[in-house]
Amino acid sequence: MLTLEGVSYRYAGATRASLRDVSLTLRDGEVLGVVGRSEAGKSTLCLVVSGLAPRTLGGTLSGRLLIDGRDAAGRAMHDMASDVAIGFQNPGTQLSGVATTVYEEVAFGPMNLGIGRDQVLRRTESSIDALAIRVLVDRDPDRLSGGQQQLVAIAGLLALAPRHLILDEPTAQLDPAGTRLVSDAIRRLAAGGASILIVEQKVDLLAGVCDRVMALDEGRVTLEGQAESVLANPALHALGVAEPSPTRLRRLATEAGVAARTIEVALSRAATEAADA
Amino acid sequence: MLGGIIGPVVVVLIAVVTPALAAGVARDLVRTSLLLTLPIAISALLVNLFFFPGGHQVLLRLGPITATAEGLEFALEILVRIMAISGAITLFYLTTRPQDLVVDLERRGVSARVAFVANASVQTVPAMVERAQQIAAAQRARGLDTEGSLWRRVRGVVPIVGPVILGSIAEVEERTLALEARGFTRPGMRTLLWWPSDSAQQRIARWGLVVALLSLVGARIAGWLG
Amino acid sequence: MPDLALEGLVHVYREGGVRAVDGVDLHIGAGERVAIIGQNGSGKSTLVRHLNGLLRPTTGRVLVDGVDAAGRTVAQLARSVGLVFQDPDRQIFAGSVRTEVEFGPRNLGLRGDELRSSVEWALAAVGLESDAKTNPYDLGASRRKLLALASVLAMRTAVLVLDEPTTGQDELGVQRVRSVIDDAHGQGRTVIAISHDMRFVAEGFERVVVMHSGRVVLEGAPERVFRRDAWDQLASTFLEPPLPAVIGDRMGLESTPTDAMLIRALSRELG
Repeated sequence: MLTLEGVSYRYAGATRASLRDVSLTLRDGEVLGVVGRSEAGKSTLCLVVSGLAPRTLGGTLSGRLLIDGRDAAGRAMHDMASDVAIGFQNPGTQLSGVATTVYEEVAFGPMNLGIGRDQVLRRTESSIDALAIRVLVDRDPDRLSGGQQQLVAIAGLLALAPRHLILDEPTAQLDPAGTRLVSDAIRRLAAGGASILIVEQKVDLLAGVCDRVMALDEGRVTLEGQAESVLANPALHALGVAEPSPTRLRRLATEAGVAARTIEVALSRAATEAADA
Repeated sequence: MLGGIIGPVVVVLIAVVTPALAAGVARDLVRTSLLLTLPIAISALLVNLFFFPGGHQVLLRLGPITATAEGLEFALEILVRIMAISGAITLFYLTTRPQDLVVDLERRGVSARVAFVANASVQTVPAMVERAQQIAAAQRARGLDTEGSLWRRVRGVVPIVGPVILGSIAEVEERTLALEARGFTRPGMRTLLWWPSDSAQQRIARWGLVVALLSLVGARIAGWLG
Repeated sequence: MPDLALEGLVHVYREGGVRAVDGVDLHIGAGERVAIIGQNGSGKSTLVRHLNGLLRPTTGRVLVDGVDAAGRTVAQLARSVGLVFQDPDRQIFAGSVRTEVEFGPRNLGLRGDELRSSVEWALAAVGLESDAKTNPYDLGASRRKLLALASVLAMRTAVLVLDEPTTGQDELGVQRVRSVIDDAHGQGRTVIAISHDMRFVAEGFERVVVMHSGRVVLEGAPERVFRRDAWDQLASTFLEPPLPAVIGDRMGLESTPTDAMLIRALSRELG
């Protein structure tokens, strides 16, 4: 379990805090979505939760980050890597750049941890299977599509065997095929019991995968609760967050005087067919 | 005369040509080696052939300058030594995979970061070139004239170089965060999955080379090589 | 306002002989709003770079207002065709938002009041008026993308080409881009956009061009391109129709790729 208690964070040299008095809990096996407009503090939240802020980035942190009840304050960054692993939106810059094959790329993380060779191999193998990228193992990571690179990056993070996975807009730079690849993989991970904190602009993606959702505005938590209810909350509009498609269509249908039952039938038909596809 | 021409020739044959033939890179070796040393070789040959102080035995007279036998001998000595050095370097380059070298260094205790920099730096140049091209395209799309007068093109440098540098720095920052997040800065050795295999023969050969080197140096100092 | 024409356009990149564009004939009339969709590698980016001369055809012709673009430099074509690239960080170089936006129009020779008013107008169009003195890197990624858009808007070109204007944007940014496009359209400008966002495409463009392996495989109004009989073809290019189209189909309605069309059809047929 990972907890933030009243955390505020200011980047080095910044005049204002990017996070203000943020508290959250991420339990094992839970998927927490984070929404908010650009510059609301979502990426900063990811950096703080992963430990990169302030360890690698500097800056000032007040409040506490607790991992399984232990204060993470004194821990070095490399020590945090096996508890909290973070992925970013640019597929290319996350690759180590020194691996000639996808296998080596996925193994890069565990190789750094000082564990035995057998364990490294076992973790690499299981991550490759978890992300279903067995067919890519001998490929050059630089020559993969953006979506494939993101899958490799996430596999590399999983190989660290972290308790919690942080994903900061993993599909932001991907084409529809890549988005589909990555969101399906995230769905599978979530179904398999992974603990994930995911930031996304694509609310429809979050709706399909999150247990709880939290909204940030100007560094503060403004909404928090069960995914379905938070995403349907009209207050999201003022926060600059898009409505999930079903919510939007319901609203438009009501405004146009279309019977509620009609739109519900329509939505459920589309949903079931999509699930069959 | 051993220390003269025959010595280096023997060294080249034993230490460079034979291994090259064994490794199947003899042709590449000769070609690359020649390419590397041709300029130096030609100038060394000409300078020493014609302007060797103390040269008496005349071979050829070209107007005011004279080619002497002593000069020729000296020139050949130099040439063979150059061939030995360039041959050895080329042989190393042709028979060693950078990946193997880097992994082996790391196995023997060189910091993982050194290995990383060695590997990763090769990639930065093409990445920077590609970035510069994209930036140039974006600026040209905004009317930056790269096809006009020299002065105009010089003025166009800042809008291209600026983002290249800034962008490269920003990218370094992103990459650093990703590496740190994967535990790269952990002190101590990494777990390596593979490394080039060593054998008793290779070990003996390495020690043999060291012994040979020391013997030759000793012999030179003792004056046995003339 | 010029129209654009591509005739038998083929573009082969020298290294590797990849036929990025493999024979495209396309005519875009003045004032049209056209979206180009297709997976990465389909040739979309290569195609649009021919419109301002950044790339030249291997074979075929590019005509701007009936005149072959071959005889004009990129700097000259930039007067008519403004191209906004996807990554603002591969362009931004100035210390302030204003200076950055001035770059384009300055290159076109604008000075004094004309320059000032173009810049003000562009900044207002993207919502950055109060940030004129801000350092671009103090803006978030989303607003930097809007800055890049403003820097080309200020050039007041008759044609606006946008390479993935909504990728990486938050909801407010997407809405802002949409209003910029609609305003430009209202002024009679031609807008061409490459996009991955099928909803953005269906809701905002009269014409959709689908590319795959360097060719145009389908084109027409959103109702045509996202109609049921085109879904297999879309799937083969790794694209999916927007949700309203899917819902409409499940309800047995005629092609409804936008929210409005779906709602209208639902209330008409089913009440």
